[in-house]
Amino acid sequence: MRNDLLEPIVFQEDDFIKISKNKVGAVFLGRLLYFAPSFKKSLILLHRAKARVDKIVNLTAYVFSIAGVLSLLFWVYLNIDLLNYRPEELILFYKSDHPLILVFLISLIFLMFIIYRMSEKKASLNKIKNIKEKKNSNNQVIDYKKIPRIDVYKTLSDDFLIILENSYLLAHKLRQKEVSTIHLFWNLLYSPVVSSLFVRLNVSVDKLTSLLKKYLADNKKENQGDKINLSDHVQEILLSAFSDAYFNRHPSINVLNIILFCYHRNPVLKDILYELEISQDKIENAVNWFRINEKMMADYKVFRKMARLKPGGNMNKAYTAVATPTIDHFSRDMTVMAKYGYFEICVSRDKEVRQIFEAFEGGQNGVLLVGHVGVGKRSIIEGLAQLMVKEEVPSFLKDKRLVELDVSRLISGSNPAQAQERLLSIIGEMQKSKNIILFIENIENMMGISSGSEESLELSEVLAETLSRQGIYCLASVSSENYSRYLEGRAIASAMTTINVAEPEINDAICMLESKVSWLENKYGIYFDYNSIEETVKLSSKYINDKFLPEKAVNIIKAAAVRNSKLAAKDPEKKICTKNDIAEVVSEITGILVSKVSESESEKLMNLEQKIHERMIGQEEAVVAVAGSLRRARADMREGSRPIASFLFLGPTGVGKTELAKTVSDIYFGDEKYMIRLDMSEYQLADSVKKMLGDVDGTLGYLTEAVRKKPFSLILFDEIEKAHPDILNLFLQILDDGRLTDGQGRTINFTNSIIIATSNAGALFIQDAVKSNTEMAVIKQALIDEHLNKVMRPELINRFDGIIVFKPLTLENVLSISKLMVKKIEKNLSKKGIGLLYDDDGLLVLAKAGYDPKFGARPLRRLLQDKIENEIANLILTKSLNRRDAIFINKKGEVEVQKAKKL
Amino acid sequence: MSNHFLFYLGKISAQIVLDFLYFPLWWYSTGLLRLLKSLGLFLQERWMVIGAGVWLKNIFVPMYGQRDFTSRAISFFIRLFQIIFRFIAFIFFILLSLLGVFAWIAFPVVVVVLIFNKIF
Repeated sequence: MRNDLLEPIVFQEDDFIKISKNKVGAVFLGRLLYFAPSFKKSLILLHRAKARVDKIVNLTAYVFSIAGVLSLLFWVYLNIDLLNYRPEELILFYKSDHPLILVFLISLIFLMFIIYRMSEKKASLNKIKNIKEKKNSNNQVIDYKKIPRIDVYKTLSDDFLIILENSYLLAHKLRQKEVSTIHLFWNLLYSPVVSSLFVRLNVSVDKLTSLLKKYLADNKKENQGDKINLSDHVQEILLSAFSDAYFNRHPSINVLNIILFCYHRNPVLKDILYELEISQDKIENAVNWFRINEKMMADYKVFRKMARLKPGGNMNKAYTAVATPTIDHFSRDMTVMAKYGYFEICVSRDKEVRQIFEAFEGGQNGVLLVGHVGVGKRSIIEGLAQLMVKEEVPSFLKDKRLVELDVSRLISGSNPAQAQERLLSIIGEMQKSKNIILFIENIENMMGISSGSEESLELSEVLAETLSRQGIYCLASVSSENYSRYLEGRAIASAMTTINVAEPEINDAICMLESKVSWLENKYGIYFDYNSIEETVKLSSKYINDKFLPEKAVNIIKAAAVRNSKLAAKDPEKKICTKNDIAEVVSEITGILVSKVSESESEKLMNLEQKIHERMIGQEEAVVAVAGSLRRARADMREGSRPIASFLFLGPTGVGKTELAKTVSDIYFGDEKYMIRLDMSEYQLADSVKKMLGDVDGTLGYLTEAVRKKPFSLILFDEIEKAHPDILNLFLQILDDGRLTDGQGRTINFTNSIIIATSNAGALFIQDAVKSNTEMAVIKQALIDEHLNKVMRPELINRFDGIIVFKPLTLENVLSISKLMVKKIEKNLSKKGIGLLYDDDGLLVLAKAGYDPKFGARPLRRLLQDKIENEIANLILTKSLNRRDAIFINKKGEVEVQKAKKL
Repeated sequence: MSNHFLFYLGKISAQIVLDFLYFPLWWYSTGLLRLLKSLGLFLQERWMVIGAGVWLKNIFVPMYGQRDFTSRAISFFIRLFQIIFRFIAFIFFILLSLLGVFAWIAFPVVVVVLIFNKIF
């Protein structure tokens, strides 16, 4: 074990010391790390020639050895008659004086030489030796001149040494003063591992090399002297890589250790990588991915080896366990399942596993894992079962079984008294057998099952009581909501140590996903690049709010795998799953537009006003404001923690406030059904807040539930001035923070919603002002100052992104609207095979009749209903209107029937 | 150029000759140590597979949780039998390892002696 308890050391800028003019060092566990040799072209060539000659020597030794074996076989062939007669002569072959035997004997020396070379080769792979740290008493400043030194050169892997030498040769060829990070990086790209890393990062290696080439060509310097040193930065990279390799227990410094530290050391390289959308985080996570795969392979080998030794039944190795028929009936043996490879590998949860061990070692008998659904509580327990199979656990868990109690089986088909009896019998068996650790998933299922009268114990209390006795180990899990609802303050919760299993951080979740990807890749025959994995975690964390990482991300990536494998059958390019594919899957699942803006869509966005006006007549100012904010949202220019956009629409009734909201929902979200409409006149009372948010007793809130189910939607609050003041206070929070907490304690996210509130306040004032040709800006200001502040607090008015005043409709507007309405009727009729034609004058007659500046377009709708639709309905019912006939609205605005020609 | 070449050639061939001379020494020093080390690991693994230690540790613990006197007595003898049997198995592996060490030490000598006899 290499310094297990130490935190890995990552060198900072000021940890590096100049130990001589061209040498950089760093103090590492009481040693001075430095890079000793100065390269020379001749030395490099010598080194390479030596490697080549070594190969030739090895080959020669092999040839001699094989020749020896062949000689022996040939000798057997020559003496086959004798050997048939006296087979014992074969063993005494060495007594023969035949020269072939001499050749064979000499070849044995070469065989020994091969053994020597192979053993040395294998030993030379392990270059980084364990360092025994010396206690630095009194925290004195270490004098680097007096401490032992480690030459990092001697710990380089063979592959990397060649790359470093090539970097020197490159600098030499370009007549540079020193070997820079760029030279190193350029040569790293020739390593198959690094190039596959960049393939995973979806970076074109060709593009990267061409950018580097350009830089190198532009920066040719004439070298003054003939000595070329490694630049300070390159030395710093080597020293940092040593530390990384040391703490990751790598046998030597390999290319992946190096690539981790290249990013920060050179501003030019940073720019080049930045241009290709590569960040330090991405490099680290991608390197981690490679390491996770390596570790999983190595772990698997150890696991299989150890699994053979783990008993497959319920008897332990010491044969002290007793038969446990009740436990066997009501549970599943997780250690046996782990032994036979049923569980996936658990990553990035070392902390929680350690906490479990510590709790048990601290004398606790019960440990309760509390965390949201999908954060991986079960995965931790499965990981524990695997550790138990490997016996990499504290001694009190060695040679034990982890069994999962099947609570549904325990309770089913029995009354509470019987269930308690079963549980007691299980606990009795555990105490006798002494080799059983019990795991109860969703322990809340055991709550509330009690027999007899009110005072009697319930099932969980029985368990709680036995846990206070010695000799029983019990693990349980519960979701956070159920913990606060059922367990908090109860006996079972106080009898167990609570370990909170938090939702993993983004980078941890990426690691978890990376550990599952290779399995998916094999199963579905597709390939994920790194960005797709990162995008899965980021998008699911941003847009799926009622589920938790890593489960929600795993579900997305599985869906993407299935989808792409199907698509790949038609289009082989889809074999590679990119971040766009992930975005499309997230869009499909959540209904949220997250995929890259396509060309057709960007055209649609640029012509948004026109698009809206196909449905909306007039109100140019409102349309321009709304279209602008939608474009900002789609280009991802908005602030993260606020709704996409929020508007307050002011204006008299019937001028198109609701219609604009509907149009936006249709255009932006793809359908009118993405509009959540709440009529604020229904929320006038003080208890309306409960109605909106839900209650602790489980009643769901109208607003919160609708948004939880459809976070990507337009929320329309109609006639906001009628709402109770308490509700208006809620709006402050929605508009500012983009979230609300509902009655059940869930956080509801409004950052993917568009919020539109409408109000009729000051409607009369608007009409009068427009009549007297007052300017819109003046009207708006007067509205806010004099009318709106009577119904709403100024801070709320201020929170809206835009306050938009809708003008009363003019006669031209109403005429256009009547055309739209008639078109709608035409559409309905065409389904029945009936046409509709109209005379423009007739329509004007209707528009005039339906025009009322006070009520906007509403009277028009009623008029069209009475005069046109009712007539048509009568005609259809009396069978005077058949297929292929047409309706004609004549000059007087009346309905006529035009009969079709008879066939 | 040819000067350089000769320089390299000399240096490299010297290294190979040294390597060849060093290797018998290696066989009886580092090589032997490495063999012992790997045999040690091999025996450790065998010990774990055979599990005699677990049986020895629990020699007085009754099997199958049967705590009456008769069961304890039976248990003790069964365990004793198991321990003896398992120890014998382990001794077999120790002997096997010793044989390996012996072969390692003797092999070069035997080969060289045989060659010597053949030539002279």
